[in-house]
Amino acid sequence: MALLARAAPSLACAVCVSGSGDGAADGYNASVLFLMSTPYLVVGAIAGGLFLTYRRAQKRREKPEGDGNAMTLAWKQEESGR
Amino acid sequence: MAKDSTARKLDERPTLFEVKRPGFGGGGPPTPPVQPNTPLGTNAWLGTVMLLGAEAMFFAGLVGAFLVFRIGSPVWPPPFQPRLPTGITGFNTVILLASAVTMQLALQAGRRGDRARLLRLLSWTALLGAVFLSVQGYEWARLLHFGLTVSSSVYGGLFYTLIGFHAAHVFGALIWLIVVWFNARQGKYTRQHHTGLQTCSMYWIFVVGVWPVLYGLVYLY
Repeated sequence: MALLARAAPSLACAVCVSGSGDGAADGYNASVLFLMSTPYLVVGAIAGGLFLTYRRAQKRREKPEGDGNAMTLAWKQEESGR
Repeated sequence: MAKDSTARKLDERPTLFEVKRPGFGGGGPPTPPVQPNTPLGTNAWLGTVMLLGAEAMFFAGLVGAFLVFRIGSPVWPPPFQPRLPTGITGFNTVILLASAVTMQLALQAGRRGDRARLLRLLSWTALLGAVFLSVQGYEWARLLHFGLTVSSSVYGGLFYTLIGFHAAHVFGALIWLIVVWFNARQGKYTRQHHTGLQTCSMYWIFVVGVWPVLYGLVYLY
């Protein structure tokens, strides 16, 4: 009992830093917030790039084939008379 | 019209079992050709996208480590440390950004099939990248002379780690660019197939894009 009363607290956490306002704690907080947001930014950028590539490919598919200056023939039943 | 004529009169309705042949008086409008399902990009393109994502996380880890020490220190730069050359490095930043412009123009030339312009712009990009690395190397030599080393302080360790890894990436991108230049000279890139050029361009522009972030944090913040 006497030994327990005399025991000093041992800080086992190697990365714990003391309370708010402490410079080291602010540094860790900023770093953690930045690193937490980075995967979302990276995945969002990749998803955005894939979406833009898909839209560009879709516009290329809808564009008529061949020279843009050539007139494309439109087949209409009433025009052909058949 | 003859009695047994097979020509269909204009006002006749088609019979139920009449064969409709487009262009011969029957059938509907011609159907458009079936569009094959073309992939958005090649496997190499997708692999490069994944590589760039991994590289972004790598640099994010380094920046996170920098932020811990930068924000955690009451005084920055720490006392008795050599000052970083912000002016000449700012000019170097402009050179690197110019190389991104020439790289993008080279990619556009490659897409058009203009080989001469592609080679010219790739040469400019490589030259600008080499100038960037040379100026960085010269400034490093001066900082080492003034006593800023990897082991001299946390400041020195952070500086050389962040800027050193970026310089290594620029060097790797430069080697890749030289290989692409030789491939382009041999005519390996066409309007339809230029994946090597495209992936090299993506990597180069990524490496250039990371630099302003590092410059702002390490040199200016």
